[in-house]
Amino acid sequence: MKPTEFLNSSIKDFTLNLNNDYRYLKTGYYVSMHAEVLGNPVIPTSGNIIDAGRTPILLLKASKTGIPTLPYLVTGSIKQIISELGFPVVVFAVNPFSYDGFKIAKNKSALYRTVKSLSMNYKFTVCAQPLKGEMISFKSIFGKCEVDGVISRISERVYEVFKIPICKLHVQRVGDEAYLCGLQPLKMEEIFPSDLEMVSAAISRMSKKGEHLVG
Amino acid sequence: MARIACFVEKYNFSDQREALALQNFQRTAEERGHEFKFLFREGIPEIPKYDAVFIRATTDPLYTAYIVSKTAWELGRKVIDDPESIQICGNKIHLYDLFKKHNVPHIPTLFLNKEELHHKRLLEVFEAFGKPIVVKAPYTSFSRYVEKVACETSFRDVAKRFFRKSDVLAVQAFMPTAFDWRVGVLNHEILYVCKYMMPKGRWKHGAKRRGKPTFIWGRTVSLKRENAPARLKEVALKACEVIGHGLYGVDIKEANGNHVVVEVNDNPSIYAGYEDLRSKDLYGKIIAYLAD
Repeated sequence: MKPTEFLNSSIKDFTLNLNNDYRYLKTGYYVSMHAEVLGNPVIPTSGNIIDAGRTPILLLKASKTGIPTLPYLVTGSIKQIISELGFPVVVFAVNPFSYDGFKIAKNKSALYRTVKSLSMNYKFTVCAQPLKGEMISFKSIFGKCEVDGVISRISERVYEVFKIPICKLHVQRVGDEAYLCGLQPLKMEEIFPSDLEMVSAAISRMSKKGEHLVG
Repeated sequence: MARIACFVEKYNFSDQREALALQNFQRTAEERGHEFKFLFREGIPEIPKYDAVFIRATTDPLYTAYIVSKTAWELGRKVIDDPESIQICGNKIHLYDLFKKHNVPHIPTLFLNKEELHHKRLLEVFEAFGKPIVVKAPYTSFSRYVEKVACETSFRDVAKRFFRKSDVLAVQAFMPTAFDWRVGVLNHEILYVCKYMMPKGRWKHGAKRRGKPTFIWGRTVSLKRENAPARLKEVALKACEVIGHGLYGVDIKEANGNHVVVEVNDNPSIYAGYEDLRSKDLYGKIIAYLAD
């Protein structure tokens, strides 16, 4: 069923909301919201959509459930980042407009540029985390990814907690350990036929009689 | 004794009446033996040190205030505004969808998604509501992102602008009134009642001056709770029931003897001499709720 069709309906059933972009205020969000108002069990929930897209909340909820994360700082102050985290740092935006990715700052001037840009000229805060290893970004489809080992385990755990079927994860690998750093939506052009096969396989696994697939 | 953090941004102190109201909260809390500290952005890591968080900075699921609210909530702290209330009240589509489900009397409202911005659908909307109509972005607050349109061209212009950020908009019947009721509700109890008057010749409580970036605001007339119409209070409580048990400001229009909800706002404005004029106990009630 098309998302816009679902938004005008009153179907009461389990709803699997499939979308590449679950950002707040976008159609993917409204589908989950509408399903909840109708009283339907839905994947993903609108609350999880918001929380997974807000980096500090993603990290807080993830660490509560045992997913490895690094210390983070929500602030608008460069001095605070330098004194509490030092260099290098990974900085994510916490504002209503930027959602794509992160920036790495290795020195003071780079950090000034990064924070000024991601905070939209200091209007909003940023979320900073120490950079201790290398950043790895990959697609996660129903928790499955093409990276092995500890990273694959993080991908599965993030899906168990937030139930975001299709997304991109940012993880930091430090030696044999891996830490969750961020989650963002996928662009349409980033989804390949092999990803759609993974989506189909996941749907077959969880398929229930009478459920409504919206996507 | 409870330790209460009040999350604020610098702009909360730019209006003297709001700054005074914040001082009233602080004084009330301290008189009752509680600790009350203003928490700015740089203090967010200190949230675990407090028992309760009171948010006065503007809330929206995309603003820092939501991070503060959810962090406090996840840590098991008492918080006004709680994240669920921010999520519902911060998105008017969510709010009206709940009103429809629970039969809360509200202004006749239709939703319009991006794919419906075509001639046939726009004509249907005008036929349903007449002209003019009100187009409302889901993230509206302080009378912003709510515009009146009377023809298809201006409808398209406004809708396209609002669609840049949200894929769904609300379209409502135009109901001009001399004032909107504002009912403050805390934990299913009426806290204060005011009339938000419209400035002369305007249809919203806050209106932009033509050609200038500044806003003009209508007067605020406050009433004693017991003097407000019973039906008004009943409708306000019913609207809050479908959201939660936090602190809300319910906007209600009265037309032909009927009371209809315009919207419910989390994080309602509290300015000294306005909302508190006939309900001085509102500070104590909010502090008691946080400290409980």
